[in-house]
Amino acid sequence: PAVLLDSSSSLLFSLLLAQLPVFTSASPVPQRRPSDMDKLSNQTKNLMKLTQELLREHAFDSDVEPHRFRSLPEMSNRSANDLNNLELKPTLSQLHADLKLYEHHFEWLNKVSKKHHHPAVPKLVEMIREMKSLINLLHRQMLRVEAPRLTPATPSLPPHLPYQFDVLQSSHELLQHFKLFCDWAYRAFISLKPKVTAVQ
Amino acid sequence: MPGLLSSPVCLTVIWFLSWSLHPSCAQIWTDEVSGTQYGHLESNVTLACGKSQFRIPVVWHLNHSSALPWHKVTSDGALVLLHVGHSAQGIYSCYDNRGLLLHSIKLRLGHPPGLLSISCQVPNHTHVRCSWLESVKTFLPAQYNASFRGNGQEWMPCVMDVTRKHCDVDHPAFWQTIHTLRITETNALGSETTYVRFKLHELLKPNPPESVFAKELEGYPKRLIVSWNFPSSWPLTEAFPLVFQIRYRPQGSIYWSEIYSEESPVVIFDALAGHLHQVQIRARDEVNAESQWSEWSPLLLVRPWEVYTTPDPAEQLPPDERFPDYFFPFNTKPETSTAKSHNPVLEDESNLGLVILLVLFSVVILITVPSLIYVMWVRQRRRDHVTKQELTSMVKMKSMPI
Repeated sequence: PAVLLDSSSSLLFSLLLAQLPVFTSASPVPQRRPSDMDKLSNQTKNLMKLTQELLREHAFDSDVEPHRFRSLPEMSNRSANDLNNLELKPTLSQLHADLKLYEHHFEWLNKVSKKHHHPAVPKLVEMIREMKSLINLLHRQMLRVEAPRLTPATPSLPPHLPYQFDVLQSSHELLQHFKLFCDWAYRAFISLKPKVTAVQ
Repeated sequence: MPGLLSSPVCLTVIWFLSWSLHPSCAQIWTDEVSGTQYGHLESNVTLACGKSQFRIPVVWHLNHSSALPWHKVTSDGALVLLHVGHSAQGIYSCYDNRGLLLHSIKLRLGHPPGLLSISCQVPNHTHVRCSWLESVKTFLPAQYNASFRGNGQEWMPCVMDVTRKHCDVDHPAFWQTIHTLRITETNALGSETTYVRFKLHELLKPNPPESVFAKELEGYPKRLIVSWNFPSSWPLTEAFPLVFQIRYRPQGSIYWSEIYSEESPVVIFDALAGHLHQVQIRARDEVNAESQWSEWSPLLLVRPWEVYTTPDPAEQLPPDERFPDYFFPFNTKPETSTAKSHNPVLEDESNLGLVILLVLFSVVILITVPSLIYVMWVRQRRRDHVTKQELTSMVKMKSMPI
């Protein structure tokens, strides 16, 4: 019986010790999970941050834009007032199509940057990865609210960039446009959040 | 009919027609000025004596005086003013040798327009105001025309307020990389167009927060509560969040402490008890990190709560702006010099979770320690029991006959 007593007390002690990590790891109050729209806006902000870092790290001070990219999503028709009256499904569909278009442009930029051994390549790769993640998140959200998928526009990309300077200039132009697109997209996602809740 | 012809109106019309149809009779019988001539300062200005081709000697007067600035008179009676200055401005009249007025003209001197110095303010995403200053003082009346466009877009008018020297654009296509403003200044001596290119998203600068209010928290000698409103020019919609920076310091200190928040009010937890504090707030667009901070709000003075305090009348705050009693529980986490979490509800939940975790951990410790004591006690008892048994057996062994 003494052996039994000894072993049972040891077992009790071990059990108590074993509970410690369980208590420390498990949060007793469940955290409010971010909604899908939160994820979309957070991921957009993340992309915007990456874009700004790339622009800062590879500063290319130029007020003259070469207009190399003719097929970037049109931003001239998007005003601040539009953000107050966005419709859920068309906006999600449009943003998805726009992101797909940017994805093509950045993949092209990545290819030419690799060719010219541009130091921004690792970050560009990261950016494309994050962009794909945002596109997937957005696509999932579109399926959920039954938003149609638009036919992606065909990108018209510059045929050949002979010099490193052209790559720098193209990269700058693309990043500048994408930064503003992300700014608008982020505002669109946070504006649409209440509408998604109403649909679901 | 003869009656009609002799009427004063008809006579006047006939006189006017006969006068206007005979321009060669350019003699001016009245003292009127026939027009204004503009000339460049510090250059030579020629004033013709009307359209008269008579090669008769003429006499020129400036403002009815025969004293003229540095000049010469040409053979056809024209007056050439040499290297004119401001004093050469006035009404010039030429007379024939009989003293009859032939021609009279007003001379104004100045410069053609130069390039403008233009700056634009962007207090929100729907409005741009551009102001200008002349780099050249022309001394002459001017007309302005301003247009604005985004990259590759059509020009749209920038609505002018010439007296205040600014123009406004409402609802620009904000999310464009570069915008261009062109202003054309035109005066009698010429015209000049100035172009400026800028990035609206970098110029975005909200107005300072409004109705900023700081107050003591009763019962808390190291706390202050600060509230504010969005600037009235900022759109109050989900799409345009602002981040606010609150800075405070005891009066006399040179070091500011800072808090960042997206929501009003905030509680300052580390005020210096018994000291008057300075508090200010400014705002910036929360999404666009390249935009600018607003100017600071006016300095507020506030003292934390004290037990036996007789408030200084200068620091007393308007009674209608008192906080309701339920105000305090919001946003009470100290955030000195750190960016605030964007989700205060989640933050509060995690704080509560931490507290519960700590309580549970204490319970575990409280269970473990007595359990350990119990185990030790049981083991000790067993050991005592074993020793007693050994002693008994030894005694038994000793008492046994060998």
